[in-house]
Amino acid sequence: MARGAMLMSGGIDSPVALHYLLRQGHEMVAVHMDNRPFTDDSPLSKVVDHLAVLRERYHQPIPLYLLPHGPTQVTLMRSTDRHFGCVLCRRFMWRSAERIAAREGASFLATGEALGQVASQTLSNIRSATASVHLPIVRPLIGFDKQEIERVAKSIGTYSISTRPGVCCQAVPDRPATRSNLVQILKEEDRIDVDEMIDDCIRKAQIL
Amino acid sequence: MYRRLRLCSNHGGYEAVADPPNRLDLRSVRTALEGAGIPVVDARVMLIATLESEVTISRAGRLLFKTPDPGVAERSFERLRGILGLPPMEPVEPTGSGSG
Repeated sequence: MARGAMLMSGGIDSPVALHYLLRQGHEMVAVHMDNRPFTDDSPLSKVVDHLAVLRERYHQPIPLYLLPHGPTQVTLMRSTDRHFGCVLCRRFMWRSAERIAAREGASFLATGEALGQVASQTLSNIRSATASVHLPIVRPLIGFDKQEIERVAKSIGTYSISTRPGVCCQAVPDRPATRSNLVQILKEEDRIDVDEMIDDCIRKAQIL
Repeated sequence: MYRRLRLCSNHGGYEAVADPPNRLDLRSVRTALEGAGIPVVDARVMLIATLESEVTISRAGRLLFKTPDPGVAERSFERLRGILGLPPMEPVEPTGSGSG
C-alpha cells in the first residue's frame, strides 16, 4: 500500500475520504491549512478530533501538519482578482500539500472533494486548481452525494465533530468564479511571488 | 441602523448587518482603530481587528464577531461604534405581556 498526504478541512467530507483510504491500508499523513484569522479555532480543533477518532479506529499515527494559510489569503486578497479567490486558494493548498508529501515520502495527494458541491469543486475549477501540482490526486468521494457522505460520517463517528459550531471562511469572495481557465489563473499568479509564499508557509509548518 | 446581532450560518459567531448598507472607507477605519490601539490585519477588501473578540469588517459595513458569546459580541460592537461612529443597533422589540 502507498503513503499519501490528505488535505483535512474540519468539514464532513475529508474524514470520510480519509476513512476509505485508511480502510484500504494506505499510510496517511494529514495536512491542515490554517485559515486564521479568516476563520476561528474551530476547523483546527475539529481536524484534531477527527484524527483522534480515525487513529483509534485504524491504529495508525497519522501525523498532522498545520500550515499557516492566513498570510497567503491576505496576499491573494490584496493582489489578485477576488473573483478567482477560491481557485487560487486551492492552488496554494495543493502546492503546500505536495511539499509536505515530498518531505514525508508520500506518493499521492488526497482530498474529500465531491463534484459540484461548492464553487471550488466544479470541473473547470478542479482542473485549474490541480494543474499546480504533479503528484496524482485521489478523491475517494468524487461521485458521492452529500447524503451518502453524511451517512458514512455518522457511522464512523466524525459527523458530530464536523457539525460543531464554527465561523465560515471569511476569505470566500461574494461571487466566486465557478468557471476558470488556466491562462487567467496564471496571469493572476504573475502578480505575486508564489514560490516565496509557499516557502514561507512550509518554513512555518508545525507537526501536531 | 444596525440590525440586532444574529448567529452566523455555522453558529460560531455573531454578525451585525447595516440596513441600509453602511459603506465604510476601510483605510480610515484602519487608521481610527490603530489610533485606538487596536491591532488590525488589512486584507484590502476587509479588515480583521482584535477587540474582546476578533471582528471582520467588510466594506459594506458588515461585521462578524468571532465569538459564540452574544455578550462579548455586543460589547465589541459598542466599542467599535464608539471608535468609528457607526450607526446604533436597532432597539430590542418589546416582548408581549403574555396575556394574548
